[in-house]
Amino acid sequence: MKRNLYIGIGFSALLVALGIASSVLERRAAVEAAGAQAPRFEVDPMWPKPLPNHWLLGMTIGVSVDAQDHIWIIHRGGSLERMENYAAANPPASECCMAAPPVLEFDEEGNLLRHWGGPGQGYDWPVSNHGITVDYKGNVWIGGNGRGAAVAAPTQAAAANESQPGGGPFNDNMVLKFTQDGKFLMQIGHPGQSKGSNDLENLKGPAKMFVDKDANELYVADGYGNHRVIVFDADTGKSKRYWGAYGHKPDDTSLGPYNPDAPVAQQFRNPVHCTELANDGLLYVCDRVNDRIQVFHKDGTFVKETIIAKRTLGDGSVWDIAFSKDPQQKYIFLADGSNEKVYVILRDTLEILTSFGDGGRQPGEFYAVHSIATDSKGNIFTTETYRGQRVQKFIYKGMAPVTKKDQGVVWPKKAS
Amino acid sequence: MESPAFTSSTTRCGKAVPHLWIAATLIMVFLMPRAASAHDIPSDVTVQAFLKPAGGHLDLLVRVPMNAMRDTEFPEHGAGYLDLDRVDASLREAATVWIANFIEVYEDDTRLPTPRTVEVRASLESDKSFSSYDEALAHLTGPRLTNSVQVYWNQPMLDVLFEYPIRSEQSRFSIHPGLARLGLNVITALRFLPSNGAIRAFEFVGDPGLVRLDPRWYQASFTFVKLGFFHILAGTDHLLFLFCLVIPFRSLRKLIPVVTSFTVAHSITLIASAYNLAPDFLWFPPLIETLIAMSIVYMALENIVGGIGVQRRWMITFGFGLVHGFGFSFALRQTLQFAGSHLLSSLLSFNIGVELGQLLVLVLLIPLLHAFFRYAVAERMGTIILSALVAHTGWHWMIDRGERLRQFRFVWPALTAAALASAMHWLMAILILAALVWCVAKYWPLKFPLGQPSPSQSEPRTHSVAHGLNTETGGEI
Repeated sequence: MKRNLYIGIGFSALLVALGIASSVLERRAAVEAAGAQAPRFEVDPMWPKPLPNHWLLGMTIGVSVDAQDHIWIIHRGGSLERMENYAAANPPASECCMAAPPVLEFDEEGNLLRHWGGPGQGYDWPVSNHGITVDYKGNVWIGGNGRGAAVAAPTQAAAANESQPGGGPFNDNMVLKFTQDGKFLMQIGHPGQSKGSNDLENLKGPAKMFVDKDANELYVADGYGNHRVIVFDADTGKSKRYWGAYGHKPDDTSLGPYNPDAPVAQQFRNPVHCTELANDGLLYVCDRVNDRIQVFHKDGTFVKETIIAKRTLGDGSVWDIAFSKDPQQKYIFLADGSNEKVYVILRDTLEILTSFGDGGRQPGEFYAVHSIATDSKGNIFTTETYRGQRVQKFIYKGMAPVTKKDQGVVWPKKAS
Repeated sequence: MESPAFTSSTTRCGKAVPHLWIAATLIMVFLMPRAASAHDIPSDVTVQAFLKPAGGHLDLLVRVPMNAMRDTEFPEHGAGYLDLDRVDASLREAATVWIANFIEVYEDDTRLPTPRTVEVRASLESDKSFSSYDEALAHLTGPRLTNSVQVYWNQPMLDVLFEYPIRSEQSRFSIHPGLARLGLNVITALRFLPSNGAIRAFEFVGDPGLVRLDPRWYQASFTFVKLGFFHILAGTDHLLFLFCLVIPFRSLRKLIPVVTSFTVAHSITLIASAYNLAPDFLWFPPLIETLIAMSIVYMALENIVGGIGVQRRWMITFGFGLVHGFGFSFALRQTLQFAGSHLLSSLLSFNIGVELGQLLVLVLLIPLLHAFFRYAVAERMGTIILSALVAHTGWHWMIDRGERLRQFRFVWPALTAAALASAMHWLMAILILAALVWCVAKYWPLKFPLGQPSPSQSEPRTHSVAHGLNTETGGEI
């Protein structure tokens, strides 16, 4: 009897102690939560579901989320290795595999919906497609950065280098507009016709597009050959204005390799890799190799800039950005395909709060993370080029105090 | 898509005349009014809707992608852009044919007549006005899009305001949204705004049948009793676990403490999950599925080894019951929306349904097993054979589910104050549970001396519960 009493008292004492401790910790957690907070993510290793028909993705070079929260990607089937294309040989060399069509649409669960793309009547499909954007009317825009003459499908060699696909002058001097079913609607620019950064008719390796729904204007990051942002009417394709770094007139004089210790470049380096318009009318431009984001008003007036991972050489650190889906778009998510991470940046101050990801091929790791987009639930989608060749989903897990500047791989773990 | 008529005619005419057919077809295409209709069934359609009683009428606001409006001809201009200046009549027709005709609304179980189509709009898919009822209503009664906006004909959304006459906004409403025909996979997100100011969100996949938006407690309870009953009957893994429990104890009297323990345990975790107390790990569901398979393997192996007493079994069953409860909660997650304001009673009803299902299984299994052991094979051998078969199945499930689980790599959460506080809460819950189990284990055997294992299994080492606690469990396996 006495033993039972002791056990009872022990239980109760332990419970009371735990209750007090948890109460103290909760108060401390509330104080922590009032400090710097950032959205937290976990990779979803089950997304997307397996592709049908033994399809493989090549360099996955663009991602966009439409108003239905469907995820659109574009990839380069021609960048697959010969053995990856055995099923497409004539006669087939084996049961597996072959390139998926260039444009693929997934639902939120990762099921493949529509798929289309490739050369067709009435338009010039890029030698090396690059970037995909679904606009506010549901239209699908595609750019390209291929060099050399157009071919039915780019060869592996032509697409092997994401920055300089193929050889010779730029072929892909156009953007294309399609319906979601893949019906061609419009082309701006023509292959091989660019006259440089002050040409109003043609682009030169356009990397990414954004359509402003208020003015129905298309903003193009132009690009791999030019050094500018150019704006078109999204219905007529008529050019309206353009500008270079700091709002200057763009200049095609070679700047040489990026030197982090030299004074900041007064022109964009190639490629000008993204252009994204925020709800408050500020336009964010990725000057990839210069390791910087530049911010403009819609008319091209320079507002501010920030340097990211300044000592990054080679391909640069500022590959693509997406905004958080709160109405204020408080955060910028920046894909850095050189350092293999995604930065979470406070849009107001352009201060880096934290980052996640690391180099590698397992879920949550990156190899050449190239493009990034967010859905209405706050989830992030990334695509990887070079030999990364995949799309990944990072599930939004709410806000959390910033405890690390570099979170590493965000494997699934307990929500806070 | 080609029409079947065109295809067959071409085939009949052979190779000599296809050019004529092509020319004729081209002429027809140019002479016909510029209109097109969708033929492909969209694979993925999301319908958004609001239902709000207001005075003497019930407003139903619906947003549907226009590519789901098959066989409706919408006027076009240019390169296939929707002629927004002339589209109203087609939108109204589509609203009636594809939406109104397939939604049944009931006021206190009386079906309401076909609604009046008050307003229709074509909207851009990026339009956000359906994020709230007020914005959606303002959008539907506001200005229309005009032809200054070029939008490809099947890419906008169709927004409709329907109005049903009702007797009172206080009535109880039900809806049967039979919109599954809009696509291969149709999700309907409905928000019901009753007169008390609450907002109740529903999400249906396909055709959910009649949904009571504000059920009475007994209606919700009946729904959940049915759900629980059929869930246990359809859940092979739960059934196999139950089967393992029955094999050594083929009498209802002996099974009562075991099954009760299972019931109490799964009720605890099921209710905890419904109140969002379950862990929010991505790997948690696959972990639970793996543990459920392990529970089957364990029970089957325990049967094979033999010498199991009721005392030991109900305690083990309690632990596994906690795991199965999480499993039930995954199945219940999508259906809790039908509970209305009766969450707890619906959860308890679900448990009652599960118990009824279990009872039915027990009532069928006990005599069957008795007969099997009497006429087919000796009890001990039969127990081993049946348990081995179950263990085999459970083993394969365990391996398959474990493989899925292995794809997640566990990382310890950062030791933040919030994480530690959460760990303390869990520790407290485990302590309370352990205390409860200890109390029951200590006092139950004294009141209900059922502890003897099946004589055939434990004859060499029968212990009397009168000797005290745990005498029968020591060194049984």
